[in-house]
Amino acid sequence: MIWQEYSVGLLVVLACGIVAFVALLLEWDDLHRLLLIDLVEIPSLGVIALLGTDLAEALILPGLVVGIAELLALSQIYLHKEGIADRKVSGLNIEVISKADAPVIISVILIVYGIVLSGFTGGGIAGLGIVFFFMARGAKEHFSLLEMASGVSWALWIAAFFVFMVLPQYWFLALMGAAIGILLKVTVKMALVGMMWGRPDE
Amino acid sequence: MIIRRISDVLSNYENILPLFAGGCAIVFLIGVLLLPLPYYDDQLYPKTIDRNSSLDPYDRGGPPFTQVVIKSQYPENSPTAGYVTTYLTPFSWFLANTTHHLGTTIVAHPGGIIDEILYNTRGLDTVVEPTILFIAFAIASFLFRREP
Amino acid sequence: MSSLGGAPWYILEFGDELVYFTPYTTTLLILALVFTVLALVSRPERQVEALFGTDAIYAKDTTVDQMRFRRFMAIACGCASMGAVVTGDLFNFTLFVALVGITNVGIVAAVKNRHVQNAAFQYGLVALTATVPLFAGAGIVAATTGTLSIVALASGTVPQAPFFARALLCLGVVGEGMAPFYAAKAEMFRAPGAPYVIMCSLSSLLIFLRVAEVVMVI
Repeated sequence: MIWQEYSVGLLVVLACGIVAFVALLLEWDDLHRLLLIDLVEIPSLGVIALLGTDLAEALILPGLVVGIAELLALSQIYLHKEGIADRKVSGLNIEVISKADAPVIISVILIVYGIVLSGFTGGGIAGLGIVFFFMARGAKEHFSLLEMASGVSWALWIAAFFVFMVLPQYWFLALMGAAIGILLKVTVKMALVGMMWGRPDE
Repeated sequence: MIIRRISDVLSNYENILPLFAGGCAIVFLIGVLLLPLPYYDDQLYPKTIDRNSSLDPYDRGGPPFTQVVIKSQYPENSPTAGYVTTYLTPFSWFLANTTHHLGTTIVAHPGGIIDEILYNTRGLDTVVEPTILFIAFAIASFLFRREP
Repeated sequence: MSSLGGAPWYILEFGDELVYFTPYTTTLLILALVFTVLALVSRPERQVEALFGTDAIYAKDTTVDQMRFRRFMAIACGCASMGAVVTGDLFNFTLFVALVGITNVGIVAAVKNRHVQNAAFQYGLVALTATVPLFAGAGIVAATTGTLSIVALASGTVPQAPFFARALLCLGVVGEGMAPFYAAKAEMFRAPGAPYVIMCSLSSLLIFLRVAEVVMVI
C-alpha cells in the first residue's frame, strides 16, 4: 500500500501523542499533570485537522472548547483541594492604572471592536477588554449578573438551533441569534475567568 | 491473589492517571504499527481554495442571499443549507469589496461555511459544546463562591 | 440497517445528525430516564458517622446549596447519558460522552472533603485525557470512511472503520466512565447524598453499553 500524505501526517501526530502520554505516565506532581494534559490535547486536534476539509475546521472548535472548559473546572478543583483558594490576590496595584482614565478607554475600544468583529473572535476580544477593566479596578460585585448573562446567551443559542431545525426558512434570524449568543457567551465567560481571583467578597 | 494486588493498585487514585496514560500510549503505538491507513477521497464539505478571491481562503461561492450547493450528509434534511454560507454582514461586504486582505478575519463574522456547519447542518454538536462549557463554568463558579 | 441493534422505530433528523430509536437504544434511554427522574424526586440520604469504641455519633451536615448543585449535576448527567445513548452521529456521541465525564466530576467535586476532592481531581484528569482518544477516533473514522453518521456506516455503502479507530473510541469511553474503578473506593462513598453518586456509576454503565453497539456496527 502506498504511504499517502494522510498516513505520514498521522504518523507524526501519533508520535507526538506517544511522547505526551509517556510524559504524563512519568509525572507525579498534580499541577504538572494538569499542564501536561493541555499539551496532550494538541495531538487530538491534529488528528481532526488531518481530515483537511471544511468539516475538520468545524470539528476542531468543539474539541478545543471541551479541553478549555474542563481545564477551567479542574483548576478550580485543584485550588480547593490544595487549600489555596483563599489566598488574597489584588488587582494590578499600579497607581496610574487604578486611578487614570486610560484603562476605561482601552477597555471600551476593545469591547466596541469585539462587537464589530462579532462571533467567537469578537467575544474573545470584548472579554479581554472586560478582564482588563476588572484587573485594573478590582471590581467584583457583578458576578451573579454576569452568570445570568451567560445563561441567557446559552438559551439564545439553543433557541437558534431549534429555529434552524424546525423553521429553516427563518435561517437569517437563527444565524443572528447564534452569532449574538456566541459573542455574549465568550465575552461573559472570559469576564468570569478574569474575576475568579482570590476571594469573591472583598 | 493477583486480583487482590490489581485492586490494591487501582484503589489508589493517584495510580489511575498513569495507568490510563500508559494504556493510551500503548494503543497509539499499535496505531503507528497499523499504518498506513487509506484516506477516503469522497469527503463531505470538501475544501476549495481560490487564491484570486478577495475572501481567500474562505471564499463563499457567491454573493449574499444566494444559495450555493453544499455537500452535506443528508441534504434533504437542511433545505436552506447554502444561504448561511454566502451571507456577509454589511460591514464585511464593504471590506471584501474594497480590500484583498480580509483573509481569515472573515471567520469571526456571522455567515460562512464554518457557521453553516456549526449552526445548521451539524447544529446538535454545537448544542452539546456550549452545554459542556456551561457545566464546567457551573462547577468552577460553585467552588469559587463557596466559603473555603 | 438491521445491524443497528434492531430496526429503528423512529429517526429524528437534525440536519446531518440523526437520532435513532432502535429497541436497543430505546431500552437504554428508558433506563436513563427512570434514574434521572429518581434523582429529581428523591431526597438525599443523611449520613451518620459513628466513632468506633465510643458512644459518639454525629450526623454529617449537607448544606442546601451543595444539595441543589449536586442534584443539578445529577440531572445534567442523566440528560447527557440520554443523549449519548440515542445519538446517531459519531462526533456527537463523543461530545455527549465528554459531557457525561464532566458532570460526573461535578457530582463528586461539590463535596467539601479533602479525600473526595482529591479523588474528583484525579478522575477529572483522566476524563480530560480521555477526550484525546475519543476525538482522535472520530477524526480517523471521518478520514477513512468519509462520513460520521452511524446509520451510513452501518449500511455498508462506505468502507469499514479501521480497527485502530474503534480501539480509540473504546479507550476514550473507558476513560470518561472511570467511575466503575471507584466502586471499590471508600473515599467516593464517604460523600453524602446517595442518589447522586449512583448516577455516576449508572451513566458510565450506559455509555459502555452504547459504545459496544457503536464499535460493532461501524
